[in-house]
Order: sequence, then structure tokens, then C-alpha cells
Amino acid sequence: MDTFKIVICGEGGQGVQSIAKIIAIAAFEQGKKAVYVPYFSTEKRGGVTEAYAQIGDVVPSYPKFEKADLWVVLSQRAVDRIYGFLKDDTHVIVNSYLVKDLSKLGRWHPREIDAGKIAKEEFKKPRVFNMIIMGAMVKLIPGLDRNKFEAALDHVFASKYAKDPSLKELNRKAFEKGYALA
Amino acid sequence: MSEKRFLMGNEILALAARAAGATGMYGYPITPGSEILLWWAKEAGSEKGKKDGMVFVQAEDEIGASFMLLGAVLSGQKAFTATAGPGNVLMQDAFSMCEAMRLPVVAYINQRGGPSTSTVIYSQSEVNLTAFGGNGNGYRIVYAPSNLQELYDYGIKAFNTAWKYRFPTFLLGDGYQAKMMGEVDIYDPHERGVALVPTEKYLLEEKRDRPIDQVVPTPEVHIRNQDGVEYSCYRNCLNLEEETLQVNMEIKHAWDKVAHEIEEHETYGDPHAEILVVAFGIVGAAAKQAIDQAGGKARLFRPITLRPFPAKALRAASKGAKRIIVAESAIGQLSRLVKEELYGVTDAPMVEYHRPSIGISAEEITRLITELPEV
Amino acid sequence: MSHPSAAQLAFPKCVRVESKPHLFCPGCGHPEVLKAFGFAVDELGIQKRLAFGVDIGCSLLAFDFFNIDTIETHHGRTVPVMVGVKRGNPHAISVAYVGDGGAYAIGMGSLLNAAIRNENVFVIVVNNAVYAMTGGQEAPTTLPGTKTITTPYGADNHYVKGPDLIRHLNPTAWVARGITTRQLELRAYMKEALAFVKENRGFAFLEVLSPCTLNWGTIDKPNETFEILEHKMAKVYTLGRF
Repeated sequence: MDTFKIVICGEGGQGVQSIAKIIAIAAFEQGKKAVYVPYFSTEKRGGVTEAYAQIGDVVPSYPKFEKADLWVVLSQRAVDRIYGFLKDDTHVIVNSYLVKDLSKLGRWHPREIDAGKIAKEEFKKPRVFNMIIMGAMVKLIPGLDRNKFEAALDHVFASKYAKDPSLKELNRKAFEKGYALA
Repeated sequence: MSEKRFLMGNEILALAARAAGATGMYGYPITPGSEILLWWAKEAGSEKGKKDGMVFVQAEDEIGASFMLLGAVLSGQKAFTATAGPGNVLMQDAFSMCEAMRLPVVAYINQRGGPSTSTVIYSQSEVNLTAFGGNGNGYRIVYAPSNLQELYDYGIKAFNTAWKYRFPTFLLGDGYQAKMMGEVDIYDPHERGVALVPTEKYLLEEKRDRPIDQVVPTPEVHIRNQDGVEYSCYRNCLNLEEETLQVNMEIKHAWDKVAHEIEEHETYGDPHAEILVVAFGIVGAAAKQAIDQAGGKARLFRPITLRPFPAKALRAASKGAKRIIVAESAIGQLSRLVKEELYGVTDAPMVEYHRPSIGISAEEITRLITELPEV
Repeated sequence: MSHPSAAQLAFPKCVRVESKPHLFCPGCGHPEVLKAFGFAVDELGIQKRLAFGVDIGCSLLAFDFFNIDTIETHHGRTVPVMVGVKRGNPHAISVAYVGDGGAYAIGMGSLLNAAIRNENVFVIVVNNAVYAMTGGQEAPTTLPGTKTITTPYGADNHYVKGPDLIRHLNPTAWVARGITTRQLELRAYMKEALAFVKENRGFAFLEVLSPCTLNWGTIDKPNETFEILEHKMAKVYTLGRF
């Protein structure tokens, strides 16, 4: 497969980096080539943060790119920040909990996922927000096997799951919810 | 015990130093290289680390860290530091002394934005500083890796080169390489037939393989025997211009003898392509992609050692080139080196693509190759 | 302490005879400090284990004073270098020999942090209250009102008390201040401090009040030298263990 390019952007603290990193690690664990790089700066919270991941059979060493195949925004001001990465056939996911103004994105038919609301109301756990977004993203990334991906997640979170076994089931359900919504 | 792992550049560098047999890390936290310190802090304090005599010191600042490193090397420890940007500036004080005395310190530099504090993110603007910083003449070895695997390979090699040739040796990475994560083959160098060069003490050495005044410039070292014991005294402050001249010429001669053995470069693409792209480090990686995208129009020359600069190889590569594109995330630090070596060798016009302290994508380089008017 | 014989007073065994006469000015205090150090080294029998670091400034003239492995370092950087030597080779007994400018001005950050980290090094600071090698500029130890070439109207009222500061930062360090005119006491301090670091008991710090006849303008006035050293300096910079 051609290298699939992902950009994700949101507010610091929303888990932007974790989502991109975990997707890259999980892709590696199922035998894909992957590379991830954060847009890291001095802000930890309270700033806009971006992450880039590339997945494929042969992934180049240069970690950035100009146009994305999958474009994910988790907050309103993220839209302008990474707008330039859109091309004609980019898949767009928005966290509609915070992204209300879709006027610039109409032609990409964004998949609106109210991950914040679902996490709070359906799962009663705001922390599974990430998992819902990740589930939606994975559905759109070619070549990633959903079951293998979930196995990789178990591996990534092994130490957390050991401490709190209920988290595993919760994460899995949230992931599947996101997957179904995309 | 070769193992494919998915790691961040900084973790790879930390592992490389360990695999090279380093036991000392003297540092000061600075983005984007701090994870190297974190790894060493954890490893050195572990049971295994203690058993192996690992030392980690978080110094008071980069001046302290670099002079501790210098002291550790004097004591024969295989030791290193890691820094970036303003930290690299402060460490030049110690690196200059290492250059003067031929002390094989190793430093992993991850270039960040400049000048001054700037961004913590990325640049290629520490070439001048790393290759020629200090008040000497730039007798240091600078490796510029271009991907995660090379971080590991050259992270190990830096120690061997430093101790074999006894020049300060740098691995010049950048914030992207430091912070990106990807696949890397982590191996034990012995299993690849890579022998580790042993260290030797400058102070308190009981048995030397070669006299120390064949390494340290002779005006700086005074050796005396008393009761069958050899005592070495080193000076860094010279009285006479003639002594200083001699120190500098001895360093130069030692360098001139071995520089050609150290030089490394990579070429990529159709050797008959008419456009020659010169880039190093992560921009070299982007350029490789661009060479592929541009379909045979261009080829790449990537210096792996920025110092000594692979001049002969560059001159050879310039033959047949109708245009030379130099791309770097700085203003003219690489292209100055290129021009110096190509002076009088080629008539090809040079396009200098300077993007200080910001990344250069493969697509940008592809446009440079394909969209410039024909020569 | 019994009175030493004339021979014992002459030269420590670890002194490098070939490098004598030494390079310090007539009346300089450094040779007295170094002599005390050398005798302590002889008494402890540690000549072969010592790594001796000397700073830039007049202390650099000690780079071949002894048959002891010695490194002349760089302005104010002797403490971190000798910290590195000790960290890299735990068997070494690591000593930093520094002037008051190197210790308390350009090298202050490293000095204080070595004390805070309780590094196993012995730092000797020779305090002559002036930058001597560079021609007599103000030091952090220059006393109020003193005229130097950078305080032509007299120094201000602030000065640094090294041992007090080190004691404040490190309650377990070995800390003392001596004076060149009390050679036997100085030797006893040197021996104690060297034994302390030999046993890896932590940071040891000795400041020594020392005359600079050249920059004090007393090269031909020994009485005045003593007056400044014993009365002016020792009055402000109290002697003894801290």
C-alpha cells in the first residue's frame, strides 16, 4: 500500500499526541511500517498541538508531509491550524463536541463524531474520548486489521490494564463505538 | 540480540551510547533532547546500571555538564553528553578545550530553532557551531544521521571514532529526529563484528599503549618519572606564540593524516541525472523522497560527515551536474561548505534553498527539481 | 604537634624538583599553600592516586609543581572537571586548586552545585582578594574601599565568605579556612581534608587567605603584607573550621 498520511490537531491535553503515537505503535505491532512525530513546542496545555503519523509498507524517513489522507480536528481552532493539509480526497473527522463551525469543511463531508458527549453520557468516563476518536480513525486507515489493532492496544496499555482490568473492556467498547460511527 | 523496536529518536540515542559501552552521561535538560537524560537517569540508578558502574549526573548547567564530561574523559571513562541550541552554545567552552587537548568527548546534538532561545523544535543551524565552534580551528568530527536507524548506528560509531582518532566527536541530529518515533533495529555491535575501541586514561593511567605526547600536543604535556612511576601534567595555558603555533600545527597534522579515513557520504539516484541536490540530515531524507518523486531528473549527495567534509566525493559528484541545489533549514551553513569545496571545480549554477529553522518537505524539494526553468 | 625539622620544612617529597624555582612572585602565598598540600600528600602516601586540577589565574602556575597527575583546566572550570574525574574514576582522589576569582565569580555556579550535590572532591581556594594574574582587578572577595584597577574609587561594601556559604549549603561537608602564615595548621587542614575525600565522605572545602604582594603593592613591604593579611583580611574572613 502507498504511505497513508495522518494529521491530527487539537488542544493540549486532549490526547492528540497519544492518539497518533498509539496508532503508529499499533500499526508497527501488526507488521506495518510506521513513523510518528509530534509538533512539540513549549506549550503543554492551553495551546494547539499537532501530530503526524504515516503508515504503510515502506515509510519514508522524513516524518512530515504537505497533504494528508486522514485529517482529524478535535477543537475549533485546530481547523485553521491544519487547514492547509487538506487535498481533494482527504478523509475528515471532526470532534463535533467542540467543532461547531463546519462551514469551511463542507466539500470534504466530514464525519462528525461527538466523542466528548458519547464518552460522558454513554460511557460515563470522559477519558475514553481518545478511544472513540481512535476507533473512527482506524476504520479509515487502509491495511490495518481491526482485531490485530485491538490486540496491539492491549499490549500498549498492558500496565494500565494490569492495574485496572475494567479499563480494558471499557476501552474496547469505546474503540468499537468510534469504529462503528466512522 | 538484534531486535526490531518502535522507539523515539532520543531513546535510540540513549541505547546507542549504552551499546557503545559508554558508562558516563553528564547532561543538563533541554528540549528536544531531554529524553536521553531521562533514560540514562533511570538506567544508571537501576541494579544493572549500578553493577555496570554507570554514572549519570544532571549538572548545574551545560557549562558544568560539559566540563564534567571533559573530566570524566580525562579519567578514562567512555562518557558523553547530549544537548541542543543554547546548551550547545554554552558547551563550546569545554569542547574548545577538548579540541586543544585532543580529548575524545562525544556529544549528541539535536538542533533546535535559532538564533538564541528561539523554538525548541527544529533547525539545521548548529552546523557552524558544532563543526567550528569555540576559538579553535574546527578539528572535530561531526556525523549527521538522516534517519532513526542511523541515529543508532552513528550513535555507536561516534564513540569508536572519538577514541580511535582522539578528536571531539559529535552526532548532529535535530528536533525531528529526536522526537519522531519509528522502527529501528537495535543490536549488539559485537554481533555485527563491530569491535568497541577501548579508552585510555589521561590522568592516573598505569600502562599506556602509546605515549600520551603522541596524542596531546607536545607543548601541553609534561611527563616525569619518580621512583618508577610516570606522572603526567597537562597545561591548557601557554606562554608563547610559538608554543601555541606548535599546538595548532600538531593538531592539524594529526587531523590531516586521518581525515580521509573518517569522511563519509551517501549518493542516491541516477548517477547521470543532471540536477545534483545536496542536503544533509533529515532534509537529506526528504531529498531522497524528492529524488524518487522527480523521476530520474535529479540525484542526491548527502554528506554524512559534515566535518571532515567529504570534499573529494562532492567534487566527483558535481561532475556532469548542470544545476546544483543546496537545501537546508538554515541560511547558508551547509552551502558555504559546499561552495568552498566546489570553488573552481564546476560551472553549474547553484540554487540555495534556505529555510531557517523550519522543516523542508519532500514536496518542496520536488518542486525545486521540477519547476525551475531548464538550464 | 611537634616542631618539624629543617629538612621536613624544606620540600615535600612529591614536589617536582625540576620545576623549581617556582614561577610565583616573591612573597606570593601560593607556594606556602602548595607546600602544605604536598606535605599532607606525603604523609597520607596518596601521590599515585591523586588527580590535581588547577584553574586559570595564578593557580595555573602550579601545573607542574608536583609529581602528581595534574590538569590545568580553564577559567573557573576546575571544580566541574575534577568532579568529572572523580565520577569517571572512583579510585582517584580528586582535588581542585582555584583562586578566589575562579571559585567565587566565574566558577561560582559549579562550585556551589558541587557542594550541594556533595561531590567527593577537595576544593582548595586561595583567597588573595584580587584578580592577580590579570593585573589586579576586583574580585568577589575584595574588601570594602579597596582600590583595584577596576575599582579606582574603592570597592563597594559586598564580598563573599566562601566557607560560610558552603557550610550553609552542605551541613556534612568538611569546611575550613586557613592562612598562609600558619603553615602547620594549614598542613593539618590539608591532611584532614584529603583523608576525608580519600574515604569518600563527601565534599571538602578549604579556603586559604594568601598574600598577593604584587597587586597589593607590598612586594618590598613585608610588614604591610602581614598587616593586610593577618589583620584586615583575617578579621573579616574568620579562620578555623566551619
